[in-house]
Amino acid sequence: MRGLFLTSVAFAALALAVPALADDAKPLAGKSITVLLPSPQGATIAADFEKDTGIHVDLQTLSWDDIRPKLVTALLAGTAPADVTEFDWSWTGQFNAAGWYLPLQDVIDKDTVADIGVAKIFTVDGNLLGIPYTNDFRVMLVNKKQFNDAGITTMPTTLDELIADAKQIKAKGIVQYPIGLPLSPTEGASTSWYLLTKAEGGDLFDKDWKPLFTTPDSAGYKAMALELQMLKDGLVDPASTGLKDSQINDTMFAKGLTSIMISGEPGRLGQFADPKQSTVAGQVAAIVVPTASGTTRSYGLPEALGIPKVSQNQDAAIAFVKWFTTKQFQEANYANGVLPTRTSALADLAAAGTLLSGDALVAQSKTVEPLFAQGTPTWYPQFSSAVNTAINAVAKGQITVDVAMKNIADATQKAMTQ
Amino acid sequence: MTTVAAMASERKRSIGGNSDAFLGVLLITPIVLVMAALVFFPLIDTMWDSLHRINPMQPGTPFIGLAKYTNMLSDGDVNASWINTLIYVVIAVAVETVAGVAGAALINQVKVGRQWVLAAVILPWALPGVVNATIWLWIYQPGAGLLNGILTAFGLPFENHVWFNDRTSAIAAVVTVHIWRMLPLTIVIVLAAMQSIPNELYEAAKIDGASRTSMFGSITLPLIRSAIAIAMTNGTVAAFNFFDEAWVLAGPSLDTRPILIQIYLEAFQNLHFSYGMALSLVVTIVSLLVSLVYVVRVYRNTRLD
Repeated sequence: MRGLFLTSVAFAALALAVPALADDAKPLAGKSITVLLPSPQGATIAADFEKDTGIHVDLQTLSWDDIRPKLVTALLAGTAPADVTEFDWSWTGQFNAAGWYLPLQDVIDKDTVADIGVAKIFTVDGNLLGIPYTNDFRVMLVNKKQFNDAGITTMPTTLDELIADAKQIKAKGIVQYPIGLPLSPTEGASTSWYLLTKAEGGDLFDKDWKPLFTTPDSAGYKAMALELQMLKDGLVDPASTGLKDSQINDTMFAKGLTSIMISGEPGRLGQFADPKQSTVAGQVAAIVVPTASGTTRSYGLPEALGIPKVSQNQDAAIAFVKWFTTKQFQEANYANGVLPTRTSALADLAAAGTLLSGDALVAQSKTVEPLFAQGTPTWYPQFSSAVNTAINAVAKGQITVDVAMKNIADATQKAMTQ
Repeated sequence: MTTVAAMASERKRSIGGNSDAFLGVLLITPIVLVMAALVFFPLIDTMWDSLHRINPMQPGTPFIGLAKYTNMLSDGDVNASWINTLIYVVIAVAVETVAGVAGAALINQVKVGRQWVLAAVILPWALPGVVNATIWLWIYQPGAGLLNGILTAFGLPFENHVWFNDRTSAIAAVVTVHIWRMLPLTIVIVLAAMQSIPNELYEAAKIDGASRTSMFGSITLPLIRSAIAIAMTNGTVAAFNFFDEAWVLAGPSLDTRPILIQIYLEAFQNLHFSYGMALSLVVTIVSLLVSLVYVVRVYRNTRLD
């Protein structure tokens, strides 16, 4: 009888303890957050997160270009556009100055930050404003089959070799315009010029924000001149003056109309390898960025998750950011075309052979620098706008490279003083 | 006795007058409240804010007076956008008016199935600007675009012509899309006025031996002047508010950038909100002033005294 009593007490205690243990495992269960990210995202993200944490997620997706106006209008009005939002590297200077986002250095463990090398791009004045989740840096994408068809078996490592290869592909009649290069007044034109400036061996500004691209012997000047020369040589489609980088990716490179994407996005490799989305599946590879010297360089344009200070659900939002940037999730999310930001996840995928062009990506990721060593400035949008407006005007033959460089420098100076 | 009767009559009129005035106030109160909340208060608030530095990247909102307004004068991008906008307004209003009157006159001649013709004509206006612009973007495509295809079919050298690489053709391409969307509305407004002209006037003119041209000039045009003025006002405001088509077709290109895109870039790209507000107010004032010319003309043409 006594045994039965003790057994009953033990089971009763266990029955009471199990829900309590469950609550400990999911301390925020029952909470609900909103998340705003660029489309597309994995279809099961919200359900998987809720299963793991008990937190309900209302995942909203918008096209990348539409997110920023939504964020800015809501944040200026003092409301949270969502509890967790997209946070692009180019917004860092402005959003830090505005004080809109929660510093995360004290809530994200140091090992995570150390594993995500590009996190430093989101760090301003010691404040980590976003945790990078997609590892966008620049490589060069090539159509190896078209190279081979033109009799080229060794991939270029210098800019001279790159131009020579492009000319050979054109001369052999493989494609009419071998090089994909956006020349429209859009961000893609700016980022391509930044990459070519790095490839020419220079940087955009010195430590005092003095422009380094105004003289003919500067890397930025040479990069712009190179873009114009490629256009004049018929290596770049004249219609590129009206095309964004995404359009050149989708309508030209993915259809085999160009052989080289100058400013290639590693995350696109999965799309190009998919026969449903690309007619060049099995032909595309990433190569490290050819440079004037032959020593590759690149820079990072990662996207992060940030939490607005006015979010009413910061605990649950932090839990989402942590979950979304775990190594396990990042490795799984690669299937959705999102390249991991964790070095360890990249290495795992490369070792498993699932990372397309893994050797090139891992080699390039080790050379990734921030575009601005001092951090992204508050006037970056004006600078970028001046850059792509100037590139567009040069490509249309409206101004010379010399005038373009002067225009960019003047616009930058004006933006700095505002 | 006469005096007493007159006083009573005056009192009755006064009571009736007060009652009418009260009813009038009661009837207009809702719209006054709505306008005050949604138009006048935001307008005054925007005016006040434009005199302050509203920039989320800088602390405080100090009073800066007319600094943002004077900045506009030396801002090259703003000036270029204004020039583009004025070109759009002049071309769009002129073409929409002339083609709108001609189109309405043509449709007015259709006796059978006019409603179907009208339904087809109105379609571009019924479609969102972005949809229209996207369709035209395909038409203007350098490689497989319809326009280059047609011109090439006629043996002209337009196989890979890029319409947006030249400012003149870019402006023409963009404004064509805007006119394509707004022209149907002008046709509908003018057509409605044409259909209200009594047929007897034309019959009398015919008896007097008037030609079709003189009837159009002496009867139709004078009687549709008010409708033309309304259509021109609408066209002017729409051209000043031009954004969608220019954005979809040429993005922020300075060659085609209208002032509204410049405002968008200042406010939402550069986060210079008070500058954006100042620019918005100037656009509103200029647009209203130009429209006022037409409105005054309508008033003069339509008043009964």
